Amino acid sequence: MTPSPEARPEETDMELIKRWKAGDGRAATRLVGRHSQALARFAASAGEREEIEELVQDTFVRAFASLDAFRGESSLRTWLFTIERRLMLDRRRAERRSRETVPVEESDHVSEYGALDSMIAEEAQEKVRKSLEALSPTQREVFTLRVQQGLSYKEIAVVVGSTEGAARVHYHHAIQTVKEFLRDE
Amino acid sequence: MNKCTELDIQEMLPDLLHGKLDADARARVEAHVASCEECTEDLEVLRTVKSAAVFIPPIDVDRVVRQIPPYRMIVPAAQAPARSRVVSWLVAASLAVVVLGGGSLLMIQQKPSAQRVVDGIPAPDGSASRLPVPKPDSTVAPKPAAVVGSPTHALALATGVDGLSDSNLRQLMNDMNSFDALPTTEPEPVISVDNGNNLDQGSR
Repeated sequence: MTPSPEARPEETDMELIKRWKAGDGRAATRLVGRHSQALARFAASAGEREEIEELVQDTFVRAFASLDAFRGESSLRTWLFTIERRLMLDRRRAERRSRETVPVEESDHVSEYGALDSMIAEEAQEKVRKSLEALSPTQREVFTLRVQQGLSYKEIAVVVGSTEGAARVHYHHAIQTVKEFLRDE
Repeated sequence: MNKCTELDIQEMLPDLLHGKLDADARARVEAHVASCEECTEDLEVLRTVKSAAVFIPPIDVDRVVRQIPPYRMIVPAAQAPARSRVVSWLVAASLAVVVLGGGSLLMIQQKPSAQRVVDGIPAPDGSASRLPVPKPDSTVAPKPAAVVGSPTHALALATGVDGLSDSNLRQLMNDMNSFDALPTTEPEPVISVDNGNNLDQGSR
């Protein structure tokens, strides 16, 4: 008995992309199912407070529209994170323009992040959230990508548009800050 | 607490957490963590942070997939400019036709009117000559209104001065002197900034 297309967990992202290009819509479903939650978590940990599903959807629409540009030099997930991060920055710029305020500072990111209150219930989670609030936006991105998403420094550098060395430095500063915060609590 | 000196191992702790290390590396990191207080604490912090990942309601995969447009092969970049080049040439050719055609039309419209002006000047000797040969001494009085409407001026404006005879040129020069659009006198001298000397002189 041959396995159905839905029951092929071993298929790589590149194989699924090839299938989708050949007209197999189920390949798109598998790709979205495989990466959507990670994208949603990244968005939330980066401070997005609303319409996360819409953001994930926009990320996939944009990614699928330009899949020919994806050469597989990084993993598909890293590439998706990169697209999502750009969309988040665009969103924040648009929000800033609509508010007609001064450029976003560190504190703005923190206030956006604070909107996740309702999503985090437990005390331990609350502590972690507060410790992450103490980080700069870039430190937070690097730290959550490394710890919660398990990305390598090389992949993180691609996502945040930085270097591997800079990503390492951000990570080390971040873990020191988080450790101290959790120790003091 | 002792400070960890094994930075490369410290950096691998998140990979240990995500099961991304091969067997050898994993054994090495685990052995180090067992004997290093700082790395033990770091690993505990990382576990806490990982488990405290923000709860996200599940994404509706079908809804997302419905928004994805079907795949269409992108036109190779080498072919795209060829088409745009043809379009550019067509646009340039059309513009050239419009400009040349419009210019020709204007010239055609201007020439007969100049000729009509010339025709309107009677020859002084009453001969059949149609050339404008005004008397050299019959200069036009300096009446601006009359000057503006003068056929001689129209002649000067419609054609070049190369084709005019000496007498015509002389008349044209005389007519130009009568233009009241030009300043009749020299411009007033620029008044210098008063530095106070004049006041001193005036008070004396």
